[in-house]
Amino acid sequence: MGDKAVLRKDQLEISLRNEQELIKEGTIIDDNPLDLSEPFRELCEACRKGDLKLCQEKITAGVNINARDSYDYTPLILASLCGHYEVAQLLLESGSLCERDTFQGERCLYNALNDRIRNLLLQYDYSKSTDPLQPLAAHTASLLVREQPKTSDLEVTAGDETLYLHKFVLAARSPYFQQKLEGAPEITTWKLPSAIPPQAFGTAIKYLYLGEPPRDLRSGPGTGFTESEVFAGIDKIAKYLEISTLVDSIIDSGDRRLARQRRTIEIARGRDQLEEWFRANILRNKTVLDTSKVCDVKWDHNNPIFADVLLQADELPEDVKLRSDEDGNRAGLPIGPIGSSSTIQQVQESTLFPCHRAMLLRSEFFQTMFNSPFREAQMKEHLHIIPVDCSPDVLEIVLTFLYTERADFPLDIAVDVLFAADMLFIEKLKTKAAIVISTLGSGSMSQAEAARIRGNEEDDLDIYAIIRAAWMTRVQRLEEFAARYLAYRLEAHIDSPEFAELIQESASRIKGRQETDSIELLDDIRFYLSERFRLRFDDAGIEEMMEEPPQQEIIANNAVGEDVEKVTSGIEAFDISQDKPTHINGDRLPEPPVPNQQDRMPVIMTLNGEVAGDESTKDAINHDILLGRLDQILESLNLDA
Amino acid sequence: MAMRARQKIRAPRTGFASRGTDGFESNWNDLASSLRRIHTKDASELSFEQLYRNSYNIVLIQRGDELYERTKQLEKEWLCEQVQKRVVAGISSSLLLAKEVVDKQDQASERRAAGERFLAVLKEVWEDHQLCMQMITDVLMYLDRVVAADPRKVSIFSAAMALFRDHVLRSPIEPEGQTTVADVFKSTVLFMIQLERSGHMIDRPLIRHCVYMLEGLYETAAEEESSKLYLTSFELDFLKTSTAFYQAEGQRLLETADAANFCASASARIIEEGERCFSTLSPLSEPKIKEVLDNELIRKVLPEVINLKGTGVRVMLDNDRLDSLAKIYTLSARVDPKKSHLTAAVQKRVIELGREINAASVALAQAPAPSKSTTADAGGQKKDKEKEKPINQLTTSAIKWVDDILALKNKFDGILGKAFQKDQVLLSAITASFSDFINSTPRCSEFLSLFFDENLKKGIKGKTDDDVDTLLETGITLLRYIKDKDLFEAYYKKHLSRRLLMKRSVSMDVERQMISRMKVEVGNQFTQRLEAMFKDMTISEDLTGSYKQYVQKMGDPDQRRVDLDINVLTSTMWPMEVMSNTREDQVELPCIFPKEVEIVKQSFEKFYLSKHSGRKLSWQPSMGTADIRATFQRSNGKTQRHELNVSTYAMIILLLFNEVPAGGSFTFEEIQAHTRIPDNDLIRNLQSLAVAPKTRVLKKDPMSKDVKPTDKFFFNNEFQSPFMKVRIGVVSGSANKVENQDQRKETEKKMSEERGASIEAAVVRIMKQRKNLVHSNLIGEVLSQLSTRFVPDVNMVKKRIESLIDREYLERISEEPPTYGYVA
Repeated sequence: MGDKAVLRKDQLEISLRNEQELIKEGTIIDDNPLDLSEPFRELCEACRKGDLKLCQEKITAGVNINARDSYDYTPLILASLCGHYEVAQLLLESGSLCERDTFQGERCLYNALNDRIRNLLLQYDYSKSTDPLQPLAAHTASLLVREQPKTSDLEVTAGDETLYLHKFVLAARSPYFQQKLEGAPEITTWKLPSAIPPQAFGTAIKYLYLGEPPRDLRSGPGTGFTESEVFAGIDKIAKYLEISTLVDSIIDSGDRRLARQRRTIEIARGRDQLEEWFRANILRNKTVLDTSKVCDVKWDHNNPIFADVLLQADELPEDVKLRSDEDGNRAGLPIGPIGSSSTIQQVQESTLFPCHRAMLLRSEFFQTMFNSPFREAQMKEHLHIIPVDCSPDVLEIVLTFLYTERADFPLDIAVDVLFAADMLFIEKLKTKAAIVISTLGSGSMSQAEAARIRGNEEDDLDIYAIIRAAWMTRVQRLEEFAARYLAYRLEAHIDSPEFAELIQESASRIKGRQETDSIELLDDIRFYLSERFRLRFDDAGIEEMMEEPPQQEIIANNAVGEDVEKVTSGIEAFDISQDKPTHINGDRLPEPPVPNQQDRMPVIMTLNGEVAGDESTKDAINHDILLGRLDQILESLNLDA
Repeated sequence: MAMRARQKIRAPRTGFASRGTDGFESNWNDLASSLRRIHTKDASELSFEQLYRNSYNIVLIQRGDELYERTKQLEKEWLCEQVQKRVVAGISSSLLLAKEVVDKQDQASERRAAGERFLAVLKEVWEDHQLCMQMITDVLMYLDRVVAADPRKVSIFSAAMALFRDHVLRSPIEPEGQTTVADVFKSTVLFMIQLERSGHMIDRPLIRHCVYMLEGLYETAAEEESSKLYLTSFELDFLKTSTAFYQAEGQRLLETADAANFCASASARIIEEGERCFSTLSPLSEPKIKEVLDNELIRKVLPEVINLKGTGVRVMLDNDRLDSLAKIYTLSARVDPKKSHLTAAVQKRVIELGREINAASVALAQAPAPSKSTTADAGGQKKDKEKEKPINQLTTSAIKWVDDILALKNKFDGILGKAFQKDQVLLSAITASFSDFINSTPRCSEFLSLFFDENLKKGIKGKTDDDVDTLLETGITLLRYIKDKDLFEAYYKKHLSRRLLMKRSVSMDVERQMISRMKVEVGNQFTQRLEAMFKDMTISEDLTGSYKQYVQKMGDPDQRRVDLDINVLTSTMWPMEVMSNTREDQVELPCIFPKEVEIVKQSFEKFYLSKHSGRKLSWQPSMGTADIRATFQRSNGKTQRHELNVSTYAMIILLLFNEVPAGGSFTFEEIQAHTRIPDNDLIRNLQSLAVAPKTRVLKKDPMSKDVKPTDKFFFNNEFQSPFMKVRIGVVSGSANKVENQDQRKETEKKMSEERGASIEAAVVRIMKQRKNLVHSNLIGEVLSQLSTRFVPDVNMVKKRIESLIDREYLERISEEPPTYGYVA
């Protein structure tokens, strides 16, 4: 598509019409099918409003994000038109198409509310928005040629070359192999019946491994087989191995779009087969047993599910309700144990997942592990049991992702997944976890508004824990999310000692901090604070209105300012006498500001009510007050920024 | 502390805020002991997962920095305490003592063995270190990930490599000593290379592996390419020793004074050093060591080699030593894109050979006829034979000259193609040299034209088209060298006119081809007149045809009428004066045609002038030929008929004899009186009719070679010829030959007139365009405009400018600088 020059309008119309006819005929599938279902309508509505959480929920529920409504709007167009950057980002990351040179794609671009969104869309031009399953397919295909580390468990001799294959892939993708291998899991070599041309077998294997369909069939002079022979061979082997779609995948790959579409479907099928096999074999074969007995488990290499490694995940201490020594050290953490009162002695349990190195390699952690000369990489009589430092639930999510590219998990273990993905170097899963947290945690609206939209349900997520997790796992997106979250609920957090502590931590993250260095978290919060209130200013043309009331405000602020000054000077006095400012903050800060706040808020409210009588003016003042409060905190922490 | 509900988000299980003895020590201790086991190659039982978890935990509690530092410390200790000692132990004393190249064989081999031992130790140590560090890096993967975020820190692997550099390579081999391990390494490797250069075998892969080490280490933490240890600490010394070595080598080779040998060994050295860089040292050094070679071996020595007597370029050129020349060329090309020394040598030789050819041609022309000058002066006064000989000689010498030059050119073309890779610089240098010596022969234009004439008349008979093509091509290339192209044009025109009128050309196609080639080569203007000549010829053919029709229509009853083929030539396009041999001071009366011919002549004139009124036809009997049928009454009563092809003048003379009774005679003077044929032509025609042995249609009395005014001529009824048709050529004047001195002067005079006109035209053209121009610029422009035709003499240009000023085409508008203005 990209190699064509810009089409004239009439040419464009012709190609659009041709496309539509093809769609009607059913030759190609519409990229953007009409969808009038209720869930899709809700998704569109959420995109209009910018409701991240709802969007994520709908996407997870499986609504087609590339569908269009009765006005030909796709969710991405709506989000882009209404200027919801985060929603657009979420949609793109979830696989929304925005291709140049397509009708819908260009529409998206032209509709973009601002340059920020436009640039975002351009970043995700089709090279990036290819099939989200592509990484999985690429990995599987690469298994055929990967030399290090050795993961294959079946050598097939075809003609004069030997293919090194993986039984589990074969079993998952071909009913024939499934049967055959189930019957004899211990075989390590297999000879191709001589009736089948090796080229045909090679093609079939490539197909099974989700490789790109071959451009030519390697037939012709020198190979000993004519094209038709190879083709017949392919047909034969397709029947033999019970993979009926193989032939389809090879013939007629002339039309690029059609070929791409077919490949997308093929990979999706492959994924589904892998997933089915994964659930039926790996998950069914996971074993739960006492941690202490794990080392007694002996799996032979010739197991019916062809696993070559066992992963061990220990039950969380919280779940076990048994405290190990190590946990004792964490008594001082802000994360308190839940229900620590119940002290029923229980044995910690572990879950073992039989796995395949071939798939684990998708994680850089495992790749390094299996490539290293350490114990895990050596072949032993029994399968290695490799402990993974996360809960069984999380490990299951990780494995599901590695085997099937699926990453659907609830918010409540998202942080755990984030950590696990970080530890195991699975960037995509990490991003996914960050998306889950930042969308389902929905930081886009203030508490009041969020409550208005979804009743008074309040997401009680521990934003402090999240921001720390973001720091530790270096996820910029989460930091932004948290800052935004805090900015929209600053009233509720600003007085909490934890907030001050957080600021202190953020400041200390910059090593050898200079006076001129800013505090990242605070900068972010200020940014989102202005975003939160500016929305209103712009609408109302508030600047003219703001010109009248300043005097009163100044008076009010002065009055407040004096109060604050007193308070802060008191704090400073403490500062001098104490070594650790954090301590003071923790202990002292909460008490003085609370009455202060209570005093002040009503005053301002009344002032506004009388003078401006305008909600937006109130917002402006609130904005100033909140900024002022932030400065106070800074002062009290002895930080300059 | 406000506790909030946390059903939904579970905090990470590993602590982050707490500092202190939170397992750091225990984690580190585990890790440290494992790292040591890795170093002692006892790692197979270690669990990657466990080690990774140790480091992961430490990083997670934000003590990654500490871990980083401690790992570094551990590495440092290991390197200092174990590795360094091992390396130092591998150094034997012989490596330290002998600094300079050892002369004694056994000492050298001892040192070599010690060196190899040392290098082997170093290699092993380095490879161990790398392997271990790779494993350690794997284990500390997570640390690296975090460290990578901090731009001030380098990865643990790089840090460990830097430690190796500082604590192994740069450690003194004895406490407080100055010599470091790296120094010993350097001197050892250099020693090895020296050995190899002098023809010994060394362990190349071993050295290569050690060099890998230097390539893998960097001077700075940033690991820029330029700070590779190899570059900073080894390469410089390597280049230095190489420079010294090749300086000596260059001198040694010069002393042997054999250019071919030099080329061979220099080429071999270059290949050898290139190979060394890939197999023993680092490819990085390749360009640099080549630079050293270029400098020491080529730039400084090659000029002398090129000029070596007895073996230098001169000899190679003479003996067609193509491979040696090719080597010299490649060597020169390495250091100098202009290859100035080689170019100079080649140029010199070309000019020398060219001069030889010039000299040979002069010698050939002069040798048999020392009296040439007198002959020429005397002109027609001398006897025919004597005059003819030197001129023929000259013609042959001219053609030989061209052939020689072509042969020379061929030779150098061959050399250029096979040895010099068709190099442009050399090509233009050779061209320039050719042009130089060719133009140093003043008669080159004439010679070349003669050469063409010769070939177009005879040379190309029976040759294939391809041969003809190449012949023309080579001729044209010579034309390229000739500076005075206008002179060539004049000669060519002259020769061409003879060929056309006498119908001497072998093939008109080739003639036309020749013209179009010249057009491509020299330009349209040059060939304009030549083409006009061809045009005249075709028009004349038509004219003859239509005249014949005209005659038929007239219904002339006289069946014995003379047939007329006529060529009407535009006088400005054809070299008339050359043809008519007239002297300006002589007023020439038109010759008297016999009655029959006169009728035809007048009829044609009438016909022609009726078509083109206002034109003047002047007849050129000297250029024409006639077919006449002669009847010879043999004494035995038989008659013999011959068809004679003779010149127009000869026809007039022969027709005279129709009017006298058999046995009647005319004296020379009588003939002259009857015909008014110019003396020169008459003498020549009579010579060919009466003197030439095979075509004696007339008898002459007395029978001598010279024609005197009192000689008597009779019709020779006893004329014998085996052929029915007899062609009687005119002795001279019809063939194209080298001009004699007089003709030459004539031509030159004409040429300079023509040139004067060209120069004036150019000046006016330029001034019209520019209006005002400084003198020097004007001269420059004139020269460049005219350079395609000839090289104008600056004095001549000045004179022409003066003359134009006099005639008020130009005016002086300023004296300083001298500037002219155009007068409209």
